[in-house]
Amino acid sequence: MESPAISHAKLLASDLLSLTMHPTSPPSFSFPRSNYPISHVEALGIIVATKSNPAHLLFLIDDGTGCVPCVLWLNPRSPPDPADPAPEVVRQQAELVKMGELVRVRGKVGVFRGEVQIVLRDLVVETDPNMETLHWLDCVRLLKDCYDKENC
Amino acid sequence: MALCGIKPGIPVILRELEPSSAFFKHGQSLRVIGKLESFEIETGIVVISDGGFKLKIDMQHLRDFNFRTGSLYQFIGELKFGHDNDAMLEARIGRNVDGLDLNLYKQSLQIRRKIEANLLSRKRS
Repeated sequence: MESPAISHAKLLASDLLSLTMHPTSPPSFSFPRSNYPISHVEALGIIVATKSNPAHLLFLIDDGTGCVPCVLWLNPRSPPDPADPAPEVVRQQAELVKMGELVRVRGKVGVFRGEVQIVLRDLVVETDPNMETLHWLDCVRLLKDCYDKENC
Repeated sequence: MALCGIKPGIPVILRELEPSSAFFKHGQSLRVIGKLESFEIETGIVVISDGGFKLKIDMQHLRDFNFRTGSLYQFIGELKFGHDNDAMLEARIGRNVDGLDLNLYKQSLQIRRKIEANLLSRKRS
């Protein structure tokens, strides 16, 4: 069974952006009240801004509680991370990033200039608008029953 | 990050957009849903409705937007007030959401708000 530290926690933007960062190397994250460790997350929202350069594609996803910055590295990193998507997958994912699309993203929690962001590993365009509603319900249930439960 | 400064569109139901509401503020970033009732090509204004309540949407910032009367649309933008104090959403994002279970959406929104309010009061205590 996957340990909580490497499963993708389903979070609303406001909860993701409020994660407490611990000054370990590399930095680790948890919920302030429960200390539930979070390293990988899944978020779902509408792309409301994009910015690209040769090295990476940045975009914001808005789920109504906040805007989460997401970064997709366009070139293989050095040293390479085996968990990073293959270059052709990265190219396909980059083409899916368009303003107004409802997307589900998965990735590692990172920090850039003091701001929490998702370093993208996976991106899917959700064509069924009901998926967002279901994601909200999943997030509030998991937050209440697990992530933010004291003494979790 | 250069994309900072963009506020999330707070989801609201059209009937909640009344003068006494906390959401009824100039510049407030909102996310609204409604059925497209009418559109004016000259002004770029569309009217959406939900449950008898209507809202005008200014589409001037949306490019290549295809719309169909009777379809369900979702817009994210900022609330603005015209000369006659008429509220209008200046949209920056628009998408067709035909197939959305609007009842489930509204109920889930209330659940989400309730949980968030509980968590906020716990954090403050």
